[in-house]
Amino acid sequence: MSSTFSPEASLNGASSIAGEAATAGAVKVQGHQRQGRVFSPLRFLVGKEGILFLLALVALWQVVSGLHFRGGYLFPSPLVTAQALQKSLPELLKGTVSSFLILIPGLLLAIALGIFWGLLVGTTPFLSRMFSPFARFASPVPPTIYVPYAIALLPTFQTAAGFVVFIGAFWPVFLNTVAGASSLQQRYRDSARILGLGRVEYLVRIVFPAALPHIFSGISVGLVFAFILLTVAELFGANAGLGRFIQLYADYAEYPRMVAGILYTGVVVLIVTEIVEQIKRRALFWVK
Amino acid sequence: MTLTDTPTKNSAPGRGLEVQGLRFGYNGTTILSEVDLAIHEGEFISLLGPSGCGKTTLLRILAGLETPGAGAVSWKGKAITGPSLERGVVFQDYSLFPWMSLLQNITLAIAKAQPGISAKWRRQLAEDYLEMVGLAGAARKYPLELSGGMQQRGAIARTLAVGSPVLLMDEPFGALDPVNRARLQDLLLEVWSGTTARKTVVFVTHDVEEALYLSDRVIMLGSSPGRVIHELRVPFGRPRVRRDLVGSDEFTRLRADIDARFRRDVIERIEADSTVNSEGEGV
Repeated sequence: MSSTFSPEASLNGASSIAGEAATAGAVKVQGHQRQGRVFSPLRFLVGKEGILFLLALVALWQVVSGLHFRGGYLFPSPLVTAQALQKSLPELLKGTVSSFLILIPGLLLAIALGIFWGLLVGTTPFLSRMFSPFARFASPVPPTIYVPYAIALLPTFQTAAGFVVFIGAFWPVFLNTVAGASSLQQRYRDSARILGLGRVEYLVRIVFPAALPHIFSGISVGLVFAFILLTVAELFGANAGLGRFIQLYADYAEYPRMVAGILYTGVVVLIVTEIVEQIKRRALFWVK
Repeated sequence: MTLTDTPTKNSAPGRGLEVQGLRFGYNGTTILSEVDLAIHEGEFISLLGPSGCGKTTLLRILAGLETPGAGAVSWKGKAITGPSLERGVVFQDYSLFPWMSLLQNITLAIAKAQPGISAKWRRQLAEDYLEMVGLAGAARKYPLELSGGMQQRGAIARTLAVGSPVLLMDEPFGALDPVNRARLQDLLLEVWSGTTARKTVVFVTHDVEEALYLSDRVIMLGSSPGRVIHELRVPFGRPRVRRDLVGSDEFTRLRADIDARFRRDVIERIEADSTVNSEGEGV
């Protein structure tokens, strides 16, 4: 049953999965690692390091933007940027909607097909032998280089960008699903065989949930890829969207708005990633 | 038939699990050679042996999870060609599906074994089996929330829920602490002897005491290659009381006898090998 995909083929090879560590002994270690000794004068900082670092960055930004040097206009102060953000908010929201109309269909299709095909390829030696040479060739191609061709090939910008988003998210989801499906532990396979599960039931009730930890790391990577590709595509030829917003104000040399757009996009990606993280936590509650 | 001890007198049961001339190899290594076994219906036997003697492989062949290289394996005269709900298996590494609650694990098994019955009845049955193994309160728990002993209780409940007449157990209590192991041994005996139509149990273990305490007959396997070196009928009646049995002279004598036979087998193997080698060098 083993697939010929190597774990290295996974774009997210480093993410060894919590599910694997689920065997009894390995479970209880985590909680204790936080209690390391802290140097006492700095104890009040513990737990606030992240927010303090962000504040320090803003302070640094404030200082740099206050200096007078050539090209200083490229560094609008935090206040000016915040005002620009406030002014641009309606435009940015509209851009977000436009971007999401491309992102979500492409991403969902990539997830659905990546899981479906990954489960089949990961459990069927014939399909694995057939598809893995192609996957090995096609998956490492940086999807950004498809952008101009997709725009030329497909009738509208939306379909072209959606297609590129799909390609970018498909491979990580697919490769991780294959890795998860083909590494299904023998005991679960044996139990399923003894219970006499049919092919579909086996895939849906056993292989799919067992591969879920892998699948979610594929989705996390795919999501980031999708955002990158979407904004790159929008820089090329959109008439709306987040990437377009930034390109537009760069062209007009309106750097406060542009910086505001970058920060806003960061927040949007963070929110979406966090939503996926929550879904993952709920779906994988059984992994200890 | 290689029954070396007294043959069965009390019962004249039908044909159960039969193994004839079984051989199994993997990558050119012989794992089992010429194994013959006859296990009667309703009999509780242990496959006892050191690691590497092929006892797990033999169990997997009986389960239909592996195909023998040569020889015949049958249940009630019918050849075993693949896994079947007739032969339930309990593995050492708790094989409940961790993404399903205990209840879901067991209702899935019941749904496969008795496809006709309603979901409500299935749940009721599953709860009954969980109660039987002392897990009534844990039905909604997920396997990884439970201790190893509780997980193994759940796995036993799942196998019982299928209603298989044959129970194949692969060192099911091997990973448990001594107290939990003893508890589960007693639970197993209780469940096994509590039913009117006793299940045929094949219990793989490397623990001599466990084999003697549980089974009607102990089949000793030696290693390299795996083969039956001795069969021993356990003379203790049932129900067995652990405290009386384990301390008794008879128990101690049997345990020493088994240990001695294993030691002798190892020495014989080593000497046989060195004979071959020295002859080979002489040529």
